[in-house]
Amino acid sequence: MGDSQYSFSLTTFSPSGKLVQIEHALTAVGSGQTSLGIKASNGVVIATEKKLPSILVDEASVQKIQHLTPNIGVVYSGMGPDFRVLVRKSRKQAEQYLRLYKEPIPVTQLVRETATVMQEFTQSGGVRPFGVSLLVAGYDDKGPQLYQVDPSGSYFSWKASAMGKNVSNAKTFLEKRYTEDMELDDAIHTAILTLKEGFEGEISSKNIEIGKIGADKVFRVLTPAEIDDYLAEVE
Amino acid sequence: MSRGSGAGYDRHITIFSPEGRLFQVEYAFKAVKAAGITSIGVRGKDSVCVVTQKKVPDKLLDQSSVSHLFPVTKYLGLLATGMTADSRSLVQQARNEAAEFRFQYGYEMPADILAKWIADKSQVYTQHAYMRPLGVVAMVLGIDEERGPLLYKCDPAGHFYGHKATSAGMKEQEAVNFLEKKMKENPAFTYDETVQTAISALQSVLQEDFKATEIEVGVVRADDPLFRSLRTEEIDEHLTAISERD
Repeated sequence: MGDSQYSFSLTTFSPSGKLVQIEHALTAVGSGQTSLGIKASNGVVIATEKKLPSILVDEASVQKIQHLTPNIGVVYSGMGPDFRVLVRKSRKQAEQYLRLYKEPIPVTQLVRETATVMQEFTQSGGVRPFGVSLLVAGYDDKGPQLYQVDPSGSYFSWKASAMGKNVSNAKTFLEKRYTEDMELDDAIHTAILTLKEGFEGEISSKNIEIGKIGADKVFRVLTPAEIDDYLAEVE
Repeated sequence: MSRGSGAGYDRHITIFSPEGRLFQVEYAFKAVKAAGITSIGVRGKDSVCVVTQKKVPDKLLDQSSVSHLFPVTKYLGLLATGMTADSRSLVQQARNEAAEFRFQYGYEMPADILAKWIADKSQVYTQHAYMRPLGVVAMVLGIDEERGPLLYKCDPAGHFYGHKATSAGMKEQEAVNFLEKKMKENPAFTYDETVQTAISALQSVLQEDFKATEIEVGVVRADDPLFRSLRTEEIDEHLTAISERD
């Protein structure tokens, strides 16, 4: 593509040493819909609000939680279109790893690859950073894992984390509820309760998404019927 | 300027404003509205219909050359609202992509895949400085082999959603309000109901009674999945049915 004309970086240092574009990108994430993740003793859950712009949108056509590999799932807060780009690039990385080594890519490595892409968009010519933060949930030989990746390209492993609107409330809530020995089903309940905290309107299987992975190492997005069951348990 | 690095450029190329917004993309949405045309799409139980205004700026123009309805393949229709030149370029690339898809995979490109492809293209223009976003909102319609009738809408920000009904252009918000009322109960419209809901929605938000030559209507039907534009006589029949119904 013709992006070589703009060989200078758009993300440059301000006189005080800050990268202002990255801070603005984080603002975009901060005004996005809330997502959260919890690492349990035997699995990981990620969940997000799915508020659609109008009732005219067919909910079934929107999937915010995506697979990267059969044992790794991801969700975002921020700009949906940017997320698709990262999902595409990450899947390709995972596939290339599989082709080369004949084994699934470890979660840490995939997260690192994805984070590298995000970093490149803070330093390359003619591009802005990604307006998304990711929560990556996976289960591999090292057990259950939860990572958060930010527009700057930095990433951290979390026991539980939240992002988007209401981050601070959600994080305080998670800090209160989290325990080391939590099991996956408890974690799902906690995830729902945390989403419920800052939720505007009635929470239902149509306006949230939940993805989970357990010791079977198969990441799965819950069906609306399954979410309804969990919602009933939480009541 | 007092905004520090990149001061002021956030209005010229697609970089973040301090509020985390992309002005260029927001301006592209305005460009769609500025074209002064409103479009509607409605999905029925076994058909999809899109309607748009047809404004011929000059009597001497060939009426048939003024159109926003494009066949991408025999089975996929695209209704472009906004800047016509941008939409022609988009459609040309979409046709190429759909033909490539047919050649590579041996079956027709589904509507949602085309919508995603268009949205992915639009996303690039929101992140890279070298090209401006398209001033176009595209509605894609088709009958899916597995999922039945599909209506998708792609915007300059790179969003694409499947819709039960939707609108684009100048009176988008008014039309959405109207359609939300009509679609609340998830009615399973027949073909005639689908077409007439779409046309009457447009008439209602524009507060205008159309002549058949003043609108364009594109349809796909499950029992005949070819995309086609309705002839003037067919539009007339629906207009008469609407006025007799009211």
